[in-house]
Amino acid sequence: MDANLVTQIVFYFFAALTVLSAAVVVFSRNLIHSAFALLFTFFGVAALYVFLGADFLAATQMVIYVGGILVLLIFGVMLTHKLYDMKLKSETYQFWPGLALMAIVFLSLVGVMLRTTWHSQGTRALNPTTAAIGELLMKEYILPFELASIFLLIALIGAAMIVRRRSE
Amino acid sequence: MIGLVHYLVISAALFSLGIMAVLTRKNAVNVLMGVELILNSANINLVAFSRFSSADLNGQVYAIFVIVIAAAEAAVALAIVLSMYRLLKSVDLDKADSLKG
Amino acid sequence: MNPQILQDLQAFHPEMMITLTLLAVIVVDLAAPSIRKSATFLIAALGLLLALAFTVPLYGAPQGTLFYGMVALDHMAVFFKGFLILTSFFVLLAAPGSRELSKDHIGEFYALLLGVTLGMVLLASAADLLMLFLSLETVSLGSYVMVGYLSNQRESNEASLKYILFGAVSTGCMLYGITLLFGLTGTTKMAEIRDVIAQGAGSGNNSLMLLVSTVLILAGFGFKTAAVPFHFWCPDVYTGAPTPVTAFLSVAPKAAGFATLIRFFFTGLSRTSVVGAQWSPFAAVNWTLLVLMISVVTMTLGNIAALRQDNMKRMLAYSSIAHAGYILMGPVVLSPLGLQAVLVYLITYLFMNLGAFLVVIEIYNRTGSFDLKDYRGLWRRSPFLTISMTIFMLSLMGIPPLAGFFGKFYVFAAAVNGNLAWYAVVGALNSVVAVYYYARVIKAMIIDASVEGVEGGAIRLSWTSQVLVWIMLLPTAGLMLFWDHIQQLTGSSVKLFFG
Repeated sequence: MDANLVTQIVFYFFAALTVLSAAVVVFSRNLIHSAFALLFTFFGVAALYVFLGADFLAATQMVIYVGGILVLLIFGVMLTHKLYDMKLKSETYQFWPGLALMAIVFLSLVGVMLRTTWHSQGTRALNPTTAAIGELLMKEYILPFELASIFLLIALIGAAMIVRRRSE
Repeated sequence: MIGLVHYLVISAALFSLGIMAVLTRKNAVNVLMGVELILNSANINLVAFSRFSSADLNGQVYAIFVIVIAAAEAAVALAIVLSMYRLLKSVDLDKADSLKG
Repeated sequence: MNPQILQDLQAFHPEMMITLTLLAVIVVDLAAPSIRKSATFLIAALGLLLALAFTVPLYGAPQGTLFYGMVALDHMAVFFKGFLILTSFFVLLAAPGSRELSKDHIGEFYALLLGVTLGMVLLASAADLLMLFLSLETVSLGSYVMVGYLSNQRESNEASLKYILFGAVSTGCMLYGITLLFGLTGTTKMAEIRDVIAQGAGSGNNSLMLLVSTVLILAGFGFKTAAVPFHFWCPDVYTGAPTPVTAFLSVAPKAAGFATLIRFFFTGLSRTSVVGAQWSPFAAVNWTLLVLMISVVTMTLGNIAALRQDNMKRMLAYSSIAHAGYILMGPVVLSPLGLQAVLVYLITYLFMNLGAFLVVIEIYNRTGSFDLKDYRGLWRRSPFLTISMTIFMLSLMGIPPLAGFFGKFYVFAAAVNGNLAWYAVVGALNSVVAVYYYARVIKAMIIDASVEGVEGGAIRLSWTSQVLVWIMLLPTAGLMLFWDHIQQLTGSSVKLFFG
């Protein structure tokens, strides 16, 4: 009983961390605050993956999202402002209609979700997943795996092509 | 007990927040953060359903691919944003108005 | 290696050829500047031709799914493979002749074009939602970069920024919808989704969630085919992108979007009695009504907005939005005739649209302008271009006996056959409205010559450009002569695999 309670408390802590930092990302006026709040959001999502038994995915999330995408975003923030611009302000337009729309979307989604009976083939046991995912990637998912490598090649060529300084 | 519904509510919250960021923010990098929130919410859905609905690892493999796609998309989007900054000295979306919509 | 994978690779030759060409172009692009332009062009052209040649034998291959159910191999997939590779080949031919594409880094442009082609081919045959999403993103990402190719020009950059932000949000919403569908059915394979829903997973309260996920997934499809209300990126992106890229976007990714829309709704969300004979949507989600509404709004808005445009590229952008509305009439009707109509329309659309854009490219090469007022008096400067453009405009209008008429005839006939005569009437009315903005171009080219003095000398085209225009012109004007073959080809391509 005690372990269950602790599990629940920790879960709610991480859930709150995720949603609240996402709220900071969206509502903060300061761009760097948004970027660092996004860090906590990603971290919270990784913790949720651990709760769902996705150990490989949690590690991947931390490495790629925090170590890659977030660093890239912060670079983006830093490189697109003048050096002396300390405030890094970010403005919004049509805040209140947007907020109303967001509330409508959220409430209707949750409302429909709660009424649905989701497909259920039983709950998966909490086993380590890395070996199984590796096997899946090499058998059932071999074609998406290879396409993903072409996809990354295209992204690489494309991003480099856009940013390179034109000599003409 | 923590059930499927808890995770779905969290992902719905992230999805709505992401939509809000995309619709109301003027800074291009901020809009990109909103897109990342949307993709993360879909990932939470996938992993939660993988645990509770399909009881196999398909959802998790799908989530891996989504992470890959999100990373590449963010890289290209930032390349375009940097290119915009070089041309206009600003990444305010209001300044992107040379093509009359 | 796994024997099944090896066996599946036998039916995968076109895709492998495209991949090999892509890698070869990247490697050759490292060569000396003097030879790499022509070398990469030749390799890319040869590779695409070979891939097209490999597509033809696939018509006789046994129907089924490849690679553990990721990709379907049926006649419709083979048709789209050939169609998409052919379109990329034509755009490849048009690329070196365009003033807008910088010569220095054009090897990268070819590589991107090949990568997008591979993504489109896989998108048109995707039988699994993961494969669908991944290939959709490959096509989109390549397109974002191709649009922003002129990174030192403000319009091109702005176009690619709007494109990627809009596209990322649309595909993000689509992904969310896919995850909800995954939760409802426990699987991502379209055939299995259909089976699970047929057994009752979509009944009762679940039908609302099914509707929500379908609407979200339609966001992605609507984005790719530029259907209302997901079309907002289209005019700006078409106008700002280099014109060969615009020509490509208006035909190929749109066609791939239609292919996957058809496959998703017909294989995943419809019940079929006898294989390939008649489909009916599940009672849980009436997607035909959704697509019907989108189609009507799309054709109307596209046509009305095109009326006021003075920029050729922007006008052609709205025109292509309207055409997407007509093409969507095919899936709504839910019959083999409707699907055949889509294929016929796409064939005619390929030639007349690419032809129109080719003329726009040539005129830009000469005059540096896309404005309609600079087309005045073109009759004096180049009768060849004027006549060609007139034929393309008349075909886009749908005037018989040009190709465009056949496309429209087929979709309207399919609608009437499916007891939706009012739908055909709406389409016909829209076509009448469209006559105005196409006729405006013809009028400017021919009649306005007598109003003002004509500036500039005669426009001489290089022989490669002339050949290209002829290649587009002949099918547009002479489709009637090949009518039997077209009918046979499209009729036999309507088979979808339902496994």
